[in-house]
Amino acid sequence: MPRRVVITGVGIISALGHDLAENWDALCQGRSAIRPLEGVDGSRVNLKIQNAAQVRGFDPLKHFEGGKDAQLDRFAQFSVVAARQAFRDCGIDLTAELREQTAIICGSAVGGQSAIEAGFEDLWVNGRGRVHPLTIPKTMANAGASHIAMDLGLCGPAFTVSTACSSANHAIGSAFRMVRDGEAEMAVTGGSEAFFTVGMLKAWEAMRVISPDTCRPFSKDRKGMILGEGGAMMILEPLEAAKARGARIYAEVCGFGMTADAHHLTQPTVEGPARAMVAALREAGLAPEEIGYINAHGTGTPGNDPIESRAIRAVFAAHADKLGVSSTKSLHGHALGAAGALEAIATLLALCKGVLPPTANFTERDPECDLDYIPNQSRPAQVGAALSNSFAFGGLNAVLAFRSL
Amino acid sequence: MPDPVAEKVIATLASVKRIPAESITLETNLQEMGIDSLDVFSLLFELENAFKISIPDDDVRSIKTVNDIVEGVKKLLAAAPPETSMGSTSPAS
Repeated sequence: MPRRVVITGVGIISALGHDLAENWDALCQGRSAIRPLEGVDGSRVNLKIQNAAQVRGFDPLKHFEGGKDAQLDRFAQFSVVAARQAFRDCGIDLTAELREQTAIICGSAVGGQSAIEAGFEDLWVNGRGRVHPLTIPKTMANAGASHIAMDLGLCGPAFTVSTACSSANHAIGSAFRMVRDGEAEMAVTGGSEAFFTVGMLKAWEAMRVISPDTCRPFSKDRKGMILGEGGAMMILEPLEAAKARGARIYAEVCGFGMTADAHHLTQPTVEGPARAMVAALREAGLAPEEIGYINAHGTGTPGNDPIESRAIRAVFAAHADKLGVSSTKSLHGHALGAAGALEAIATLLALCKGVLPPTANFTERDPECDLDYIPNQSRPAQVGAALSNSFAFGGLNAVLAFRSL
Repeated sequence: MPDPVAEKVIATLASVKRIPAESITLETNLQEMGIDSLDVFSLLFELENAFKISIPDDDVRSIKTVNDIVEGVKKLLAAAPPETSMGSTSPAS
């Protein structure tokens, strides 16, 4: 009999706030963190991206001493800050044995972009013949996982998953299975991302998927995504262990489904995401009718939202009309490899607080998006189980299933 | 007698470790003050930029105290004129 796996600790820093309370408050209030872009000078390169969901007021010196802050790129700083919060929140006393049996599985799509871009700027723009010596260890995508290990003294299996916008869901799903199958007694898992550099923003701009104003998922007048950043980590442990120590349980992670579209770099399919949702339901042992909420991938692009809506309808048939479906990217932006982790936490809110977070900035129904998207205002509702969808460029889909306890 | 090279080395080290410059002297042992190899690499990078010199890998291995760094920098400054930066644009720093 496989072990059941529960979430007992949560840590988060996003554009919505620097801790869980601030994030939940903003999600409940439907208060979007999309604002004019700050701290990136794109004037020389005619940067058109004007709005973003950035983490504001974050001072690394408050979190890292003795010059350590300079050894971590911003994305890795977010990893550590979120992991520390999650461990404090779960209240466990880490023994030497447990430290060796705790896994760290993190998602990041692009790693330490600030470090590598600063290095290239030194080379090509500033005419310096040298690049900062920490460029490599700050840029590597596994830096988040490595710094969590060093910071918290965790010595079990540790790695980073990089599957673009599905990274965190693949990470959380992998951690769930490791704990379920007894390969780890505990896991810290989630994702982090921080990529607001001129080069990265110009690269996103070139894809023509960024909204000129705000993110309006599923709304007829949607114009694209708004980029975000942040980090979110959660602690997974076996249900029995959590019960034995009297831990507070947010919810159970009960299923994970992943598929590849095998179709196109950027155009999604209905079938790939639908098969991932079906796989997550099957592993969870949940009937479609037991799901009450879906945290959608919901990027707000013309391409994603109708396809995702059709995929949901394909899986849930008539029950699709009874689902609450929202995209919290309208609130915290699209944080790429951290997106699934931010959204998993929004899904926990739905399950354990009985509040379905809304799709913000929704103005007009689109005939091609015909589900209940919880427009603009959160909704009190007790749901027993929920899905959280993440679909990546390259057609890699990852869906998590959660159940309330 | 103020020594501009020593002052610059100490100020850079203080900045890398985020500690007050007053807590560092020429005799300070790097290992004892918790300076690890990554800190040294960051320090050397800043000094190379500040003094427009190139510090060879071989010189790095013998560094133990702040004074070792100061002497090493002075030796390099005396041995060669400051290297010119690559490219035609002036550095933005």
